[in-house]
Amino acid sequence: MTKNEPRDLFPGALEMMVLRTLKRQPMHGYALVQLIKRSSNDLLQVEEGSLYPALQRLLKEGLVKAEWGISATNRRVRIYRLTPAGTKHLQREVSSFERMLEGITRVLAPEES
Amino acid sequence: MSWLRRVFFRRAMYGDLSAEIREHLEEKIDELVAEGMPRKDAEAKARKEFGNVTLMEERGREVWQWPRLESFIADVRFGLRMLRKSPGFTAVAVLTLALGIGANATIFSLVNGVLLRQLPYHDPGRLVMVWEKTRDGSPENVGYATYLDWKEQNKSFEQLAIYSDWQPVLQIGDPEVLNGLRVSSNYFRTLGIHPELGRDFLATEDVPTGNKVVMISHSLWVRKFNSDPNIVGKPIRMNALEYIVAGVLPASYQSLMNQDPRGGTVEIWRVLGYDVSQPWACRTCHHLIAIGRLRDGVAIAQARAEMDTIAAALTKAYPKEYDDTGVILTPIRDQLLGAASTPLYILLGAVSLVLLVACANLANLLLARATHREREIAVRFAMGAGRGRILRQLLAENCLLCLLGAAAGLIPAYWTPRVLAVVGTGDLPRIDQVHLDWRVLLFTLSVALLTGIVVGLAPAYRLAKTDVHDSLKEGAKGSGSGSGRRLRDLLIISEVALSLTLLIGTGLLLRSLSRLLTVSPGFDPSHVLSMETSVQGQRFDDPKVVRQYFADVVERLRTLPGVQSAAAASEIPLGGNMDEYGFHAEGKMHANPEEDPSAERYCITPGYLETLHIPLLRGRDISAADSAPAPQVLLVGETTARRIWPGEDPIGKRVKLGGTDKPWWTVVGVVGDVHHVGLDAVPNMQMYVPHQQWPYPDSLMTFVIRTVGPPTSTSAAAQQAIHALDSTQPISRITSLEHYVGLSMQGRRFALILIGAFATIALLLSLVGIYGVTSYSVSQRTREIGIRVALGAQRSELLGLFLRQGVLLVAFGVIAGVFASLALTQFLASLLFGVQPTDPITFGSVVLLLLLVGAAACYIPARRATKVDPMVALRYE
Repeated sequence: MTKNEPRDLFPGALEMMVLRTLKRQPMHGYALVQLIKRSSNDLLQVEEGSLYPALQRLLKEGLVKAEWGISATNRRVRIYRLTPAGTKHLQREVSSFERMLEGITRVLAPEES
Repeated sequence: MSWLRRVFFRRAMYGDLSAEIREHLEEKIDELVAEGMPRKDAEAKARKEFGNVTLMEERGREVWQWPRLESFIADVRFGLRMLRKSPGFTAVAVLTLALGIGANATIFSLVNGVLLRQLPYHDPGRLVMVWEKTRDGSPENVGYATYLDWKEQNKSFEQLAIYSDWQPVLQIGDPEVLNGLRVSSNYFRTLGIHPELGRDFLATEDVPTGNKVVMISHSLWVRKFNSDPNIVGKPIRMNALEYIVAGVLPASYQSLMNQDPRGGTVEIWRVLGYDVSQPWACRTCHHLIAIGRLRDGVAIAQARAEMDTIAAALTKAYPKEYDDTGVILTPIRDQLLGAASTPLYILLGAVSLVLLVACANLANLLLARATHREREIAVRFAMGAGRGRILRQLLAENCLLCLLGAAAGLIPAYWTPRVLAVVGTGDLPRIDQVHLDWRVLLFTLSVALLTGIVVGLAPAYRLAKTDVHDSLKEGAKGSGSGSGRRLRDLLIISEVALSLTLLIGTGLLLRSLSRLLTVSPGFDPSHVLSMETSVQGQRFDDPKVVRQYFADVVERLRTLPGVQSAAAASEIPLGGNMDEYGFHAEGKMHANPEEDPSAERYCITPGYLETLHIPLLRGRDISAADSAPAPQVLLVGETTARRIWPGEDPIGKRVKLGGTDKPWWTVVGVVGDVHHVGLDAVPNMQMYVPHQQWPYPDSLMTFVIRTVGPPTSTSAAAQQAIHALDSTQPISRITSLEHYVGLSMQGRRFALILIGAFATIALLLSLVGIYGVTSYSVSQRTREIGIRVALGAQRSELLGLFLRQGVLLVAFGVIAGVFASLALTQFLASLLFGVQPTDPITFGSVVLLLLLVGAAACYIPARRATKVDPMVALRYE
C-alpha cells in the first residue's frame, strides 16, 4: 500500500516555521516539535531530530537565544526565545515566501475554459 | 557569536546539545508511556520518530565548527595512524619519495643559488658589459682611448666604467699575492655598491699621480687587518709601494669578475689612474673590460644602436685602428651566469625524470594497497560519508606521505651542495653560496603536494567507486580488475622508458668524458709543477733586470735534484685570459691593420718546449742565443702556420706583432698547438716569443718544472731556490699541471656524476617496480597457478608465463624509452664532446643492459610461481 510520501521541505522552511512559532511564545525543543505538528495538521512530517541542528544554526546566527529553565511539566529544559534580529529576519523570510507562493499559485491556476 | 567564543565554549555547547536531545527523548517516552504504551515500545517509537540521534548530534555540532578545517585535521591524524600501522609500506614509500623529491630539491637549490638569486649589484638588470666586436663576432676587450671616446659620446649610459686584472703582493707578514682589479673611479658607482667603511674612489684620484688608493673586501679586512676599525686612511705596503686604504666593502659583496679558475675571489681594487702617455693606451691595445649602467628608460637595443653608431664614427675617424664591426652589449646576468645555465637546466630536466619514476613507483604501491582498503572504504560509505569526503581523505593521506618523503629528502638536499663545493663543480659561480632558502623550501613543498595529489588521484578515484555491497560481503577479495592492471602495467612501462632515457644520457656523457680524456692537450702535464711569481720593486723597472732575474731563477731550478727541465712563461695553457697581439705577416697584411688576425702570445724562456713536451714540428727551438741584441725570433703554432702560410714553409718568414709600426720578427720554428681555452675547443693561432727579446718583459711569470718523481715533492726545494735569489718575491698558485688540466674537465665530470646518480636511482626504482608488479601478479594468481599445476602444467611453463609477462613490459618500456631518448638527448648536445646525441653504440648497450636487468628483476618472483604447492594454492584466499 502506498502512503503519500511527504515532500522534503525547502531549505529555510524549518527555520522560518521555528521562528514563527517562537514569536508566539518562547519554548523548548520538544514543545516546538509538537506545536509545529499540530499547527500543520500533521500535513508536514518533520523528523524530530532535524529540529536541533536547525536550532543550533539559529543560535549561531543570533536569531534566537537559549537558556536553561523549567518547563510546564517540571522538567529541566532549554528554552529558546526570539531576538530582535530574529524578528526582522522572520519578517523578511515570510514576505519573500509569500511572494514565491503567489507566483507559483498563479502558474498553477486552472486554465480559462 | 564571535568565533573566539565559539572555540572556547564549544565543549559546553556540545554538552548542552546532548543534554537537550536526551531530555527531548525522555519527554517523548514519558508521554507515550503515560498514554499506555509499554516502555520498550515507547522507547523504540520515540527513537524512530526522532531519527538518527548520532547524526543529528553531529550535525548540530557541525554548526559550530569549521567543518572543512576540522575534517582536514581529522584526515591528517587518521593518515598518520594508517601510516604507522603499515611501517613497511610507509618506509618504502617515504624512501622512494625522499629520493625523488630530495634530488629535485638539491638541483633546484643549485639552480636557485647560482642562477635565480639576485646578483649582488644594485638593480642588476641595468648593468651591461660593453665589448668591441671582432671580425668573427666574438667579444673583445677595449683600449683606453676607445673607452674615453665611448664615455664622452654616449647618451645611453648613466655610468661607464672599465677594469682590468691586478695581482699585487701584499707585504704584511708573509708576502701574499692578492687577486685584484684595477678599476676606473666610477666602478663601484656603476655597480651600485657602497663601502661599509670609508669612502668610494674619487674622480680626482683616477690619474697616474694620485692612484695609489685602494678599496679592500670585507674578507681581506678581517683576514689581514684584523677588522681594524681605523683602517681607513691607513697606508699599506704593496709591490714595494705605499697605498692608502680608502674604504672597506660590505661583507655581502663578492666580486664575480673572475677570469682564471686558479684564482680566488677578488679582494682588492685599485683606482686605475691610467697614464695616457704610455704606449698601451692605444686604441688597438685591447686589454680593458668595460661595464656600464644604462640610464633609466633606455632599452638595451637602443643603447646597442647608439654604441654601434659611435663605433662607426670612430672607425671613420681612425680607419687604421678599428675594423668596422660594432659593439656587443651583454647583460651582466648572461655574462656571469650564461655558461652555467645550460648544464644546470639540463640537470633540472634530468632530475624531474627521476621524480616521475619515483611517482610511478609510488602510484603502483598505492594501487596495490588500495585493494586492501576496499572494505574500510565500504564501511565509511555505509556510515554516510560522501564520495568527495572519502576522496579528500585519501588525498590528504597521500599528501602526508609525500610531505614526509619531502622532509626526508631535504636532508641530503642540505648536505649535497656542500659536498659538491668540496668535490669541485667546474666553474659554477656562487656555488659556495648555495643554501636551502625559502624558495627551495617552497619549491619542495609544492612538488611534494603536487606529487601527492597526482599520484594519489588514480587509486583514490578507484576506491571512491567501491561497490559497498560487494565489498562488505564476507570473503570478498581485492579485485585485480582489468583497468587497475592496465594502469599498473602502463606505469611500469613509463618507469622503464624514463630510466632508459637517463641511462642513455649518462652513457653519452661518459663517452664524452672519455673522449675528452683522450684529447691530447698538446703538452704532457704529468710530472710538471707550476708556480707563479711576479716581480715588483723599483729595481725591476729596468727590463734588463727583469730578464736577468727570470733567467737566473730558471737556471737555479734546473740544477735542483730531481728536476729534468725547467722554464718560465707568461701564461700556461688553460690559464685563462690570454694576451693577443695583431699578427701582421709580411706580404699578407691588410690595408687596415685591424683586419689582420691576432695570435695568442706566450712569452717564454728557453727550455719551455722541452719542459712541457710540446712537439717541435719544423725548424728550431729558441735558445739562450736569442737574447736582446740578437735578431728577434719567434715560434708559431701549427694553426698559425696553416692559416697564414698555407702550403708554404713558414721558417724564415717575417711578421710584425701588435701594429705595423713595430719591428720585424722572424719565424724560426713551428710547434704543435696546445689547447688553451679548453680541451674541447679548437686551438686558436698561437705564437711564442723569447722573454729576452720582448720589449716589455712580463713581470708576472709562471715557472714550469718537470720532475722525475711526483711534482709536489720538489715544491719546497723550488720555492727555496726562488727565494734564495730574492726573498721578497712571493710565490703563488703552486699546482701540478695534471691537477690543473683536471680542473678544466670538472664541469663535465660534475654533470656526469650527477646524471649518473640520477640514472642509477631511476634504474633501481624501476627494478623495484618491475619486481613488485611481477611479485604481486604472482600472489594474485596463486589460485590459478594451483589449478594449472593440478591440471598438469609444467613448472617451466609457469616460469615462462610470468617471465614473459614481465619481459614484455620491459620491452615496451625500452621501445618507448628509445623514442623518448631520441627526442630528449638533443638537449644534452652542448655538454657532449665527440659523440652524437643519437650515438648508436650508447643506445644499443643501454637497451641491452636494461633488458637483461629487467629480465632478472622479474625472474626472481616468477620463480616463486614455480614453487607453489597446488594444495596450498587452492585453499588460498
